[in-house]
Amino acid sequence: MNNDEKLTGLLNLDRLVHEPARLLMLSVLAQAKQVEFTYLETLSGLSKGNLSSHMSKLEAAGLIEVTKSFRGKRPLTELRITPAGRKALTDYRRQLSSAMQA
Amino acid sequence: MVSTSDSDLANDRLRELESVTSAYARYSRSAGGLASVLGGMFCVASYLCGALLPLTVPVRAVLIAFPIVWILAKIGLTRHYYQRFGRVEESETAAERWTYRACLATSVFVAVAITIVVVNQALSRQAMPAPGVIGYLAFVVALPVATWLWLHSALDFIVGVFLFCQAAFACGGRAYPGLDIMHLTQWAPMSWLALTYPLLALALIASGFAQHRQFQSLRARLEALRGSTLAAS
Repeated sequence: MNNDEKLTGLLNLDRLVHEPARLLMLSVLAQAKQVEFTYLETLSGLSKGNLSSHMSKLEAAGLIEVTKSFRGKRPLTELRITPAGRKALTDYRRQLSSAMQA
Repeated sequence: MVSTSDSDLANDRLRELESVTSAYARYSRSAGGLASVLGGMFCVASYLCGALLPLTVPVRAVLIAFPIVWILAKIGLTRHYYQRFGRVEESETAAERWTYRACLATSVFVAVAITIVVVNQALSRQAMPAPGVIGYLAFVVALPVATWLWLHSALDFIVGVFLFCQAAFACGGRAYPGLDIMHLTQWAPMSWLALTYPLLALALIASGFAQHRQFQSLRARLEALRGSTLAAS
């Protein structure tokens, strides 16, 4: 693969998944059935607002499901990766790996 | 452009995050840690109390309290210690799912069968069952509920069955018999069966200690990752 093909491969990466915070979220969510928002906040070091914004983008694209409820008086947000989210993550990794192998 | 070394570094960090999350998630279901140690110790204590001590009211109260205290400790330890960074629910493997469903089906079957027998006896006598029998039935019915919500591994289930059955017996003024080695000719299958529970409880204690040690190193890895993940990438 020459440099042009490598560049094309990188440019064709799914931008929604390629962003570091969203890639982290999808990678973490892929390891569990359901994850509480607090855990992602702790692990990523991002602010609630920033993380919420990335969460909304992933939810709008159908890559994750978000459930909001209450535990006592505290709001509880739980996230779950969808089959489409798992596929997007797998595809992204395959594309990245083939682009970097050149 | 992204260099190969940058990409490797980012991939290593992601792999570490995935590994930590996967290990952390185990403490929501299959790994009990100190709760398993406590359950195992309660099982051994319950067996010894039932086998060696006269069933006075305080002894019966202790036998009845064991499963309740264990389940409360299990909930508290999971929520406030092992999953203190936020709840992450484990995705179980096909084998774990099958084991869990088999345990749940067994407990439901036994509870339904016993309930039918007890209700049938009460109907045929045309009288309310004694308070001890109602207590017995309450623990028998509580077992499938406990299995559904909290007893996710096979060892947890076995120890839970013993603690709930011992508590049910204690409500009715009885307990599992101890092993009578002086009268082997009067071999009682029940006493041999009962002996297997504290022996399996020892395995639960050992696995609980191992899980707790693993959690301590996991906590250190989590603390190291905490907040530095995206700042470093």
